[in-house]
Amino acid sequence: MGHTATPEAHSSGLTATEHRLANGLRVVLSEDHLTPVAAVCLWYDVGSRHEVKGRTGLAHLFEHLMFQGSASVKGNGHFELVQGAGGSLNGTTSFERTNYFETMPAHQLELALWLEADRMGSLLTALDQESLDNQRDVVKNERRQRYDNVPYGTAFERLTALAYPDGHPYHHTPIGSMADLDAASLEDARAFFRTYYAPGNAVLAVVGDIDPQQTLAWVEKYFGTIPAHDGKPAPRDGSLPEVIGGELREVVEEDVPSRALMAAYRLPEDGSRAGDAADLALTVLGGGESSRLHNRLVRRDRSAVTAGFGLLRLAGAPSLGWLDVKASSGVELSAIEAAVDDELARFAAEGPTPEEMERAQAQLEREWLDRLATVAGRADELCRFAVLFGDPQLALTAVRRVLSVTPEEVRAVAAARLRPDNRAVLLYEPTGGGQGAEVDEAGEDDDQDQEGDEL
Amino acid sequence: MSDIAAVMTFHPQPQAGAPKPWAFPAPERGALGNGLTVLTCHRPGQQIVAVEVLLAAPLDAEPEGLDGVGTIMARALSQGTDQHTAEEFAAELERCGATLDAHADHPGVRVSLEVPVSRLDRALSLLAEALRSPAFPEDEVKRLVANRLDEIPHELANPSRRAAMELSKELFPAELRCSRPRQGTEETVRTIDAAAVRAFYTAHVRPATATAVVVGDLTGIDLPALLGDTLGRWTGSAAQPRPRPAITSDDTARVVIVDRPGAVQTQLLIGRTGADRHDPVWAAQVIGTYCLGGTLTSRLDRVLREEKGYTYGVRAFTQVLLGSADGTGAALLAISGSVATDVTGPALGDAWQVIRTLAEGGLTDGERDVAVQNLVGVAPLRYETAAAVAATLTDQVEQQLPDDFQAGLYARLAATGTVEATAAAVSAFPLDRLVVVLVGDASVIAEPVRALGIGPVRVTG
Repeated sequence: MGHTATPEAHSSGLTATEHRLANGLRVVLSEDHLTPVAAVCLWYDVGSRHEVKGRTGLAHLFEHLMFQGSASVKGNGHFELVQGAGGSLNGTTSFERTNYFETMPAHQLELALWLEADRMGSLLTALDQESLDNQRDVVKNERRQRYDNVPYGTAFERLTALAYPDGHPYHHTPIGSMADLDAASLEDARAFFRTYYAPGNAVLAVVGDIDPQQTLAWVEKYFGTIPAHDGKPAPRDGSLPEVIGGELREVVEEDVPSRALMAAYRLPEDGSRAGDAADLALTVLGGGESSRLHNRLVRRDRSAVTAGFGLLRLAGAPSLGWLDVKASSGVELSAIEAAVDDELARFAAEGPTPEEMERAQAQLEREWLDRLATVAGRADELCRFAVLFGDPQLALTAVRRVLSVTPEEVRAVAAARLRPDNRAVLLYEPTGGGQGAEVDEAGEDDDQDQEGDEL
Repeated sequence: MSDIAAVMTFHPQPQAGAPKPWAFPAPERGALGNGLTVLTCHRPGQQIVAVEVLLAAPLDAEPEGLDGVGTIMARALSQGTDQHTAEEFAAELERCGATLDAHADHPGVRVSLEVPVSRLDRALSLLAEALRSPAFPEDEVKRLVANRLDEIPHELANPSRRAAMELSKELFPAELRCSRPRQGTEETVRTIDAAAVRAFYTAHVRPATATAVVVGDLTGIDLPALLGDTLGRWTGSAAQPRPRPAITSDDTARVVIVDRPGAVQTQLLIGRTGADRHDPVWAAQVIGTYCLGGTLTSRLDRVLREEKGYTYGVRAFTQVLLGSADGTGAALLAISGSVATDVTGPALGDAWQVIRTLAEGGLTDGERDVAVQNLVGVAPLRYETAAAVAATLTDQVEQQLPDDFQAGLYARLAATGTVEATAAAVSAFPLDRLVVVLVGDASVIAEPVRALGIGPVRVTG
């Protein structure tokens, strides 16, 4: 049993109430009056896993179209009105969902609700070919900027395609392909909206300095008359065998700055106890500067510039454990791979030490507190648990579940999953393009969000 | 499918309720016996406490030929102390659920700690250990140097960082430290050793010239006692910090293309230097820059993104390089973004047209109003977390500003009119004084860019 940072850290005093409108819209409210701000978060249960062959990237492209006006809102009005009210906003698309969010000064909450309702109910009255063509170009430039024009930028796409077989709903990533983006038509966008942007396919969370009764009355007023509509097809089955059954490898020869070893391991689904155990295993192995891989590769062998593990949590398919090692100059990938295998095998046999377990749980607990430190973070977590697991209250106990995982469970999941026959491997070999003389700087580093694409 | 719209009941746009008061928090300022300045700020509900320590160890103080020693020193603070090895130190820190980052920049070195409040005492004692008794083991410094050398190719390959490097080199005279990469070059980093790191530490790191900022839910914490037992045990001389260099720059209009054969996009960075926060024009400059390119609905993106689809987004921004109370500081005024390779010429042409139109017709009152409403209105959102408040309080100290600068800025923004904002935007981005850096495929973009006549074009590797 883990220890906790604060008596109420399990939930940070967070409480939530749930409601459902007659048209099926689920509503989650959570009060917190410490700061005069309110977050509105709307998750639609649609992501790139719902896309069909030949139309990859449509969910994300559609997310952009949601900011191009609706019946009562002209052009970029959604952005203009929220920003003019002192709010901030965006939307993101991942494999499993599309979310839209506004954080507002508390006295401007009603505006955000009105805006979200207007586009949920009337987007198609404003959607036209010009918006589609424009946002298609914007998204293609997003793809270039975040994936095609940066070193290793397509690694995520390549590993995902290896880890999930052809035809699997998670085989392609949310950004989609250039050819499919080109092929998307206005009718595709309309059909997508009609199918997935229904009140019954969404969860709305409102968190912060709110009056719950008043908020609920506004939600009823603005969203209540949006007609219910069904007809959403069940997503294609994402289940797969627990292990791949044989290592998959791809060598990439590109003009990258150094050799790199990347790998994706198939892991238990999000929302399961084994999934939390896997998170702890990856944290012990590659979650910080005291992790086993950092100590081995960066500190002792000095064979890597950076080495770490990340977790891509997925509920509708196996999650992915994400290994990323950038090699030091002159080091062969075979040496790194042997060291990684050595560490993983040792961990699978021995499991975490009590000290490692304590550190990993403390780190995951802090990450949880970080997510709950803002009203927007809380709203997003409530939506996540409501959409993916059917119960927003699970957000309140999530950290308690992580802290209750035992060392043996961590060892067991590592032994079962972090094996060479359960991974897809990408080996980067630089082709040696020219380089300049020096470095900088100031870098607004591109925010590389692995799981989703923003507006 | 207008039938869906027909069924829904539409309502008029709602009006705002009564705003609730909010003010940027005022810190309490004090000092420990060793001369360390301390700013504290209680933020109810913020369970993650942010601690920032600002060391008066500016990059300008790095010895000739040792660019990057500040960076290596900052990183080495946590790589072993008189009580812990590097591995032990990292383990102890993570046992607290803490993160500790340190980086060297022009005004000084910043060390940032974030930790759940229940483990603040333990984490503060580790932070104090790193500051007062770093071991700088030779082997660890060697490792950090090798690691840093391996990072350099990755930074060169990143288009936005490569562009920033080139702009600094273009704008500032070679003898000014800010013309050169903050973290050093291959040539300079290679020569750094443990002795150089220790010498830099000894010369520039001491409590009397440092400031610690502590922000979070401090309920029930005896902070004076806690600080006394930790950072209070740090010792050092009372010597004054070195004076800051005056920043000069050459913003003669010109274009530099960093050639990237085959690049599918061109990274743009267009910049010059201008007023920092000490200048009375700052508030107007913030509004003007926002109207030009602060967001997706600003003038640049309205054309380049939302009309033409040339880019995922282009932003105008100001970034203080060195804020100085004596008026010799400077901020970088810049426009950055990336555009598809084949439209690089047209995109730059449109950007110039947007700036020209702004200069000719000025901002509208509506634009100014929306900008002010946003810049002022987002303050309570922006400063929800302890880390955000701590970062701004530390920025203020670093830039030699009073502790109530940000609090007062909101009133100044609200009091700034359209005419002043227009004037500030126009003088911030004069078309004949902008240095343009393009990282992209020269064989495709050089000719269209030359044809624009926005300045002489030079291609570099």
